[in-house]
Amino acid sequence: MKTIIAKVSRFDPGRDEAPHLHDYTVEVYEGARVLHVLHAIHDTIDPSISYRYCCGSGQCGSCAVRVDGEPVLACMEEARDGMTVQPLDLPVVRDLTTDLAPTLRSVPFLAPRGDAIVLPCEVVEEIKPLRSCIECLACVSVCPAMKVTSFTGPTAMRQEMRLTLDPRDTRDRIEEAVAAGLFTCTSCQACWKACPKEIAIPGKAIERLRAYASTRGFTLPRHREVAALIRETGRSVTRTAPGFLEEVPIDNPPKIRERGVVGFFVGCMYNLRLPAAARDAMEVLSRNGIRVVIPPTQVCCGSPLIRTGQTEFLATLKERNIDAFVTRGISRVMTMCAGCGTTLKNDYSTPFEVLDINEVLTEHDIEPPAHLFLRVTYHDPCHLLRGQGIRNQPRALITQVADLVEIPAICCGSGGGVKSGNPDEAAALGSRRGEAIAASGAEAVISSCPFCEFHISGHTDRPVENIASLLLKGYRTADERKGGR
Amino acid sequence: MRSFDVSDCHVLVIGSGGAGVRAAIEASPHGETVLLSKTLTGKGGCTTMAEGGYNAVLRAQDSSTCHFEDTMKGGAFLNDPALVSALVDEAPARVSDLLRWGAVFDVNDSAEVAQRPFGGQRFPRTCYAGDRTGHEMIRTLTEHLATTNVNVVEEVAAISLLSGNGRVCGAAGLDQKGELRLFSADATVLATGGGTRVYDVSTNSSSGTGDGYAMAYEAGATLIDMEQVQFHPTGAVYPYDARGRLVTEAVRGEGGVLRNGAGERFMARYDPDRMELSTRDVVARAIATEVQEGRGTPRGGVWLDVTHLPPEVIEARLPVMLEQFLKFGVDIRSEPMEVAPTAHHLMGGVQISPSAATCLPGLFACGEVAGGVHGANRLGGNALADTQVFGRRAGDSAGRSEKRVVQIDRAQVEVIETRLNRLYEGECDPANVRRTLQQAMWHNVGIFRTEEGLKLALAEVCSLSNLQLKARTALQLAECRTVQNMCTTASLIVRAALLRPESRGAHVRRDITQNWDATSSPYGHTFISTAREGIDVRGSAT
Repeated sequence: MKTIIAKVSRFDPGRDEAPHLHDYTVEVYEGARVLHVLHAIHDTIDPSISYRYCCGSGQCGSCAVRVDGEPVLACMEEARDGMTVQPLDLPVVRDLTTDLAPTLRSVPFLAPRGDAIVLPCEVVEEIKPLRSCIECLACVSVCPAMKVTSFTGPTAMRQEMRLTLDPRDTRDRIEEAVAAGLFTCTSCQACWKACPKEIAIPGKAIERLRAYASTRGFTLPRHREVAALIRETGRSVTRTAPGFLEEVPIDNPPKIRERGVVGFFVGCMYNLRLPAAARDAMEVLSRNGIRVVIPPTQVCCGSPLIRTGQTEFLATLKERNIDAFVTRGISRVMTMCAGCGTTLKNDYSTPFEVLDINEVLTEHDIEPPAHLFLRVTYHDPCHLLRGQGIRNQPRALITQVADLVEIPAICCGSGGGVKSGNPDEAAALGSRRGEAIAASGAEAVISSCPFCEFHISGHTDRPVENIASLLLKGYRTADERKGGR
Repeated sequence: MRSFDVSDCHVLVIGSGGAGVRAAIEASPHGETVLLSKTLTGKGGCTTMAEGGYNAVLRAQDSSTCHFEDTMKGGAFLNDPALVSALVDEAPARVSDLLRWGAVFDVNDSAEVAQRPFGGQRFPRTCYAGDRTGHEMIRTLTEHLATTNVNVVEEVAAISLLSGNGRVCGAAGLDQKGELRLFSADATVLATGGGTRVYDVSTNSSSGTGDGYAMAYEAGATLIDMEQVQFHPTGAVYPYDARGRLVTEAVRGEGGVLRNGAGERFMARYDPDRMELSTRDVVARAIATEVQEGRGTPRGGVWLDVTHLPPEVIEARLPVMLEQFLKFGVDIRSEPMEVAPTAHHLMGGVQISPSAATCLPGLFACGEVAGGVHGANRLGGNALADTQVFGRRAGDSAGRSEKRVVQIDRAQVEVIETRLNRLYEGECDPANVRRTLQQAMWHNVGIFRTEEGLKLALAEVCSLSNLQLKARTALQLAECRTVQNMCTTASLIVRAALLRPESRGAHVRRDITQNWDATSSPYGHTFISTAREGIDVRGSAT
C-alpha cells in the first residue's frame, strides 16, 4: 500500500458559490489509478463525493476528469501523489460530475437506408479509426471554438465523417456539418491530444469533411480567395512590399565557426508580413554558428489549403518545395513558422529532416544572451505544441533572457482559416488570450508562430514578439553591456 | 402521505445495456416506452465492455444444429433447450438488424462478416469488431434508439418492482438527488444485467451489482441456477485495485497461449485436445489449480502470451488489450500478460419462457438477468447474441401486452419509502458491508466449493443482510439499496449452490464425489423464489 495525497474539486450547487479544492490522504495499492483514489475517498473519508464511473477499463467514457489540468480517464490514469483532480471543463452537476447529456444528444446518428449490407473491407478500415470514440467528451471540454461560437464540436464532427463514409446512411452529412460549424474549428488539435483513444479528429475528420465540403461548393469565399492567390502566386498572402526571400542571399555563412547547416523554409507570413522577425532569426542563427541556405524557389507549404479542405493544388506545392531543398542537397530543413513546420512534418513525406527553429537552437548550448529585467509570458502556438510536440525548447530559450510566467496553452483563434473565414470567432478567442495575458502580469508576450504573433497583437496592449527577436534583444544588450564596460 | 409523481407508460424497460436498449427499440412501436437507465445510456452495463464477439451461424459450412449442440455441451446440458433453440436460430437475424442500423463489424476478404474461433465451438462463428465488439454494438444500438420515440430516463436507479392485481406494474427508482421516482407500466422488462460485483474479483462494470435478481426475487419471481457463476479464466491481476479487469477470450481465439510460472503450457494436462480454447469453466479451473499448487506467477496468476503473433495482427485484432496493457506498463507485443480467473457472468437468473416472460404476469426479462440460456457454463460470444435475441423477444412480448389502467398501490410505495427512511437511521457503512460481502463470496463461493465454505458464506451473507445500513445523505440512498441488492443476490447464489449436490459446469463441489457426468446427471435446474426452493430431479415432478 502507498499513501496518496490528492486535491479534489468539490462543488455542491445547493451550497457553494464556486468549486473549491479539498485535500484528501488515502491508502491505495501500487499502480492504483485516479479512480481508485476517488473510490478510497468515497469508501473511507467522504461517501458524498460525486464522480461517474462504470466499466473501470477505459471503454465506457464515464469517468473523464482533469488531472493537473489535463483531461484523462480516471480509470486508466495512474494516480500521482500531490495530483489535483477537477471536473472536465463542462457544466458541473456536482463535484467531479459534469453534465454530459446535452452534448451526447447533439452527436448525429445514422439514418439507415434499411438494408443489412456488409461494408466493403476498405470502408470498414476507413471508418474504424473514427469508431473507437467512447464519448467521454474530453475533446469537447477542451475545444476553444465551442466556447465562443456555435459549433457541435469535435466528436460530432468525427461522427459526421464516419456517417459520410457509410453507404447505409441517407442524410447529407456535409451540409449538416457545415451548418453545425465545420468551419469554426481552428485546427488547434487540442481535441486530438485530449482524446484517450487518440482519434485524430482534425486531420481524420474535420479536414476531410472540409475537403468534401469544398467539392460541394461550401468553401467560405475568403478561403477560396486564399486558394486562388496560392495558385496564382505560390503565396497565401499578397505582396505589398519586397519579401524577405527577395532580399536575403541564398547562402548565409555564420559569423563565427560553422557548427551546422540548415535549409530555411521561410513560409508566407515571415516572407511577406513579418520579415523583421525572420531577419532577427537569421542573426541569432549566425551568432550561433548555423549556416542558413535559403532556396528562393520555395513556395507556400499548402497549410491554408489542407486546413480548409482545398487540396487540389497541394501536390504541386509539395513537389516544388521538396525540389527546392533537394536540388541543393539539403538534408535538414528548418521552419520558423509553426504552421509550416507541422505541415512539413505531418502532411509531407520529405526526403529531408524537418526541424523547428526552437529545436535547432536547443541542440547545442547557445551563446548566452543577457538576462533582461523583463517579465514575459509565452503563448504556445498550437501547431508547435500539439502539432510538433515542442513545449520545453522555447521555454529553455526564453528563460535565458527573461522571467517567464505561464498562461494556459489555449488556441488564440488564428488557425484553421478561422481568422479569415470567421473573424468574429477569431476575435473572441483573441480577446480571451488578451485577458489571460493581462491577468498574468507579463510585460510582453513571446511566441513562435507568425499567425499567433500577428493575431494576438490585435488583442493585447503588451508588445508581442517572436522568440528569435527576444533572443536577439538579449544579445544586443549583452553587446552593449560588454561595450559599456 | 405526500402525493407521488408517477410517470405512466406502456412498456418500462429497466437497464440500458445491449438487452435493454434492444428491448426498448422493439417495444417502442407498440406504445410509449420508457428506458430507465442507472447510468448514462450506453455507458453502463457490460455490453459496452464486451470485447470478444457475437456468435451467429452465418456460413453454409456451419449450422444452427452445431451451434445448438456446442451451446448445450458447453452448458453441461443444464440449458433450457427451447431457449437455446431461440438463441441459435435468431442470432443471425439480429446481426442483420445491427448491420442495418449501422454496425461496423470486421469483414473478411470475401466481403462477409469476419468470424473468429472461440472456446468450446466446433466452427469459428464469433463475429467481431476488433476487440471492441460490444462497444460497437452499443454504439449502434444507442444511435438507433435515438431514431425511436423511446423516452430515455437517465441516471435513475431502479430499486423495487411495483405490483398490483397480481401483476408487475412498474418500478420505483431513485434519481441523482436521491428523490423517489415512480413508473407505472402495462409491461415491465427487466434488463438489468449481471451481478458478479458481489465477488471481490470481477470483470463487471459498476452496474453489475445484481439489482435485477434482487428486485425480481422480492417481487416473487422464480430464479433458476443461481449457483452457476462463470469465472472468466483471464482477468488482469495488476494493478491490484483494478484486479479482475477482463482480458478477452479473443486473445486466445487469436492464438494466445497460457503458460504457468515455470513456462509450461499447462492446458495440455487439462484438455489436450482443445488446449487454450477449451470452455471457460475448464480453463478457469486449470489456472486456479496451477496457482493453488504453487505453479503460478509472482502475482498469483499465469502467463497469457501473444508475443509469437506478428505485431500488426495484435494491433489490428486486439487494439483495446494492447492499449490497456500499455497503460499498465506491459507491451503485449513483446511481453506476456499476467492473468487469473475473475467472476464474469451469472448463467442463472430469472426463469423465462422463450418469449422472455417470467412467471410473474407483466414482467419480462432478458440478457444476463435471465436464466436458462447458458446452462452451467456460457460459451464466449453467446452473451452478446443473447442480449439481442432475447432483448428483441422481451421488447416484442412486452409491447404486445394488453393496455390497461394501472393504479400504483400507495401502501406499497409507503413500504418502499419507509425502507428508505430507515436508511437514515442505520449505523453501518455500506462500503464496509460491500467489501466484507465481496471477500466472503470470493473465498467461499468461488471456483471450488464445499458445503462447509458455502454454509460459512451463507451465515456471513445473512448477517450482513441484517445490518442496518447508514445513508448519510439522500445521495447515498441508492448506494445503500445497491448494497442490499448485492446481499440478496449473493444469498441467492449461495443458497442455490447448497441446493446442487453435484459438480456441474461452473459449479464445482469439491466435497462431493459423483458417478455421473453432465449427460447422465439426475439433476435439473435449481430454483428459488420467496415461496419455495429446490432442485429439479430428473423424472420427478417439481
